[in-house]
Amino acid sequence: MKNFDFALLGARAVQYRLVIMLVAVAVFGGLSLDDFLTVNTLQSVLDRATVVGFLALGLTPVLIAGQIDLSIGSMMSMAGITTIFMQPVIGNVPAAAAGVAVGILIGAVNALMVVVFKINSLVATLATLLIFASLALLLTNSYPLSSEDPIFGLPLTADFLWILTPRSAIFLIAAVLMFVWLKLTPTGRNLYAVGSDASAATSSGINANGYIAASFVLSGFFAGLAGMMQSLSTAAGSPVAGAVMLIPAITAVVIGGTRLEGGRGSSLATLGGVLALGALTTALEYNGVPSYTQAIYTGLLLILLISLDRIVSGHGGASSRAQRSVRVAPRNTPLPRRNA
Amino acid sequence: MNQLVAPARSLDKSTTPGALFSTLSIPIAILVLVVIGSVASPSFLTVNNLTNVLNANSAVGLIALGMTFVMVSGGLADLSVPANVAMGALVTLGAQESMGTGLAALMGLLVASMGGVVNGILIGYLRINPIIATLGTGSVLLGLSQLLVGGGIVYAQPSALSTFVKSSILGIPVFIWIFIFVALILHPLLARTSFGRWSLAVGGNYQAAQASAVPVRFTKAAAFAMTGFLAGLCGVLLALSNGQARPIIGTGYEFVAITAVVIGGTSVFGGNGSVLRTVGGVLITALIGNLIILLGFPSQATGLITGAIVLGAVGIDAYFRRKAGRL
Repeated sequence: MKNFDFALLGARAVQYRLVIMLVAVAVFGGLSLDDFLTVNTLQSVLDRATVVGFLALGLTPVLIAGQIDLSIGSMMSMAGITTIFMQPVIGNVPAAAAGVAVGILIGAVNALMVVVFKINSLVATLATLLIFASLALLLTNSYPLSSEDPIFGLPLTADFLWILTPRSAIFLIAAVLMFVWLKLTPTGRNLYAVGSDASAATSSGINANGYIAASFVLSGFFAGLAGMMQSLSTAAGSPVAGAVMLIPAITAVVIGGTRLEGGRGSSLATLGGVLALGALTTALEYNGVPSYTQAIYTGLLLILLISLDRIVSGHGGASSRAQRSVRVAPRNTPLPRRNA
Repeated sequence: MNQLVAPARSLDKSTTPGALFSTLSIPIAILVLVVIGSVASPSFLTVNNLTNVLNANSAVGLIALGMTFVMVSGGLADLSVPANVAMGALVTLGAQESMGTGLAALMGLLVASMGGVVNGILIGYLRINPIIATLGTGSVLLGLSQLLVGGGIVYAQPSALSTFVKSSILGIPVFIWIFIFVALILHPLLARTSFGRWSLAVGGNYQAAQASAVPVRFTKAAAFAMTGFLAGLCGVLLALSNGQARPIIGTGYEFVAITAVVIGGTSVFGGNGSVLRTVGGVLITALIGNLIILLGFPSQATGLITGAIVLGAVGIDAYFRRKAGRL
């Protein structure tokens, strides 16, 4: 009986982890700092979480499709230096568009490697991670570029609407739009089917390769957006801006509850993960905790949550995934060939 | 039950174009690189240059040897490598004063191995996705190692052990001897022992291996523990030979090691691969790095060229596998 209660408690803890984390951070921050619980802090948390947030948002459909994209950081760096470099050449707004376009382009390269050349996404995006991190260093000779028009990007982080800055508003809207797409449209639901079982999805008439390719392009788009916004708001294009972003982005997505095994996840969960992580980081930083100690907390949190999830759910993950693919797949389709 | 796995592997060695490609590709690639190198620069094909190249890549090569077991057993990759390298290096130099170099080095190895064991428990026993688990442990361990030294740099004191690590035996640096020694142990471990067959079986088909009473959890955990130990060894050796260590000492080593294993032709899906192939992969990445410098390319181009080669090699491999109807 006691054992059962513990399991239930664990399950609840996993289920409401984002709420628990946010409340814990608020209590801890409120107790340890005088003016932590203010609108300003909330605005700052939201604003600073935006860059990791875009990356995490882009990663979400990729993980739902059962793939992984390690190259988001490199795409972000490339987009950032492109934006800053193109500013004096083609003007501010076209340069920003060019930055995002570079992200989309690299995402398309990833899609090509995974879908056409059938390279495992872990290896393919590891390779593009190396290639574009290296290219970013080569193009800039390892020095950050500084913007010709540093004023242009400033409004992105300015006061906008109560707790929002323009870029965090864009981030929130993007998260909600993605939620609507994933949960309420047929194409969104098909993506889950592809991630649950690509061959079953194919047998039921879904173009699995198309969905996987689209998820990589989308990830490139969001990484491009992250790089563009980061470089404009700091008025500098650093070739290593994205190098440190991969781990926080994956952590945020996973804390939110999206699984690396595919077929599960949601953009609002990712939003929650981004906010919880951002709040924790901000509270620690305001307390003067050095960044490497923050990494310890983040890492422990990640391990704790994922272990708890595994212990509580047991083997439930597999069965619920199977159920979901049954629900999505039309009836009377031929039995899917597994392990194709 | 282990015999169930063996025939399947020997069937793979038939004379399909894919099998031929994957058998011959490594020696051919090395040969091509050596030819390019000797044409490009007179200083390439000298004993001095080649020894230096191997010496510089032996430490990270050790990690690639461990990573082979991780990939073969279906553990994808160990991303906590930089943290374990840093732990090995920083603990060794940090404890050097209080407990002497030898004990401190053992301590460094022990701490890094502990990191590997934690990875093994999380991945092998709790069955957490290896990418997430090692990202998490890597983050924690790297943070701890920085906490240990206040985020700064630690210097080594002169010691007999560090003189030995920097020395040569029969004209070959100790680093290379250690790499050869570890490779000579691990190659038969994967190719000839039950543990090796377990690793291949677990990576090939987890459920089938479990049903055949293979200790699946232990096998997977052991691969990560081994990689942790070897990453620690890499850290200890680097710290002693460089005379200093910083927390960023192993940054990027996980990617270098994965690249070497993948170029060697070990499948990321698990289930096949060999340590000898990884040795080939280490040689290829080492030669590429050297050629980039000798041909006058900026050193930042290393990632570009290595990445392109990974895509090329794995893409061609995937193409032949599909043609052979095995994917």
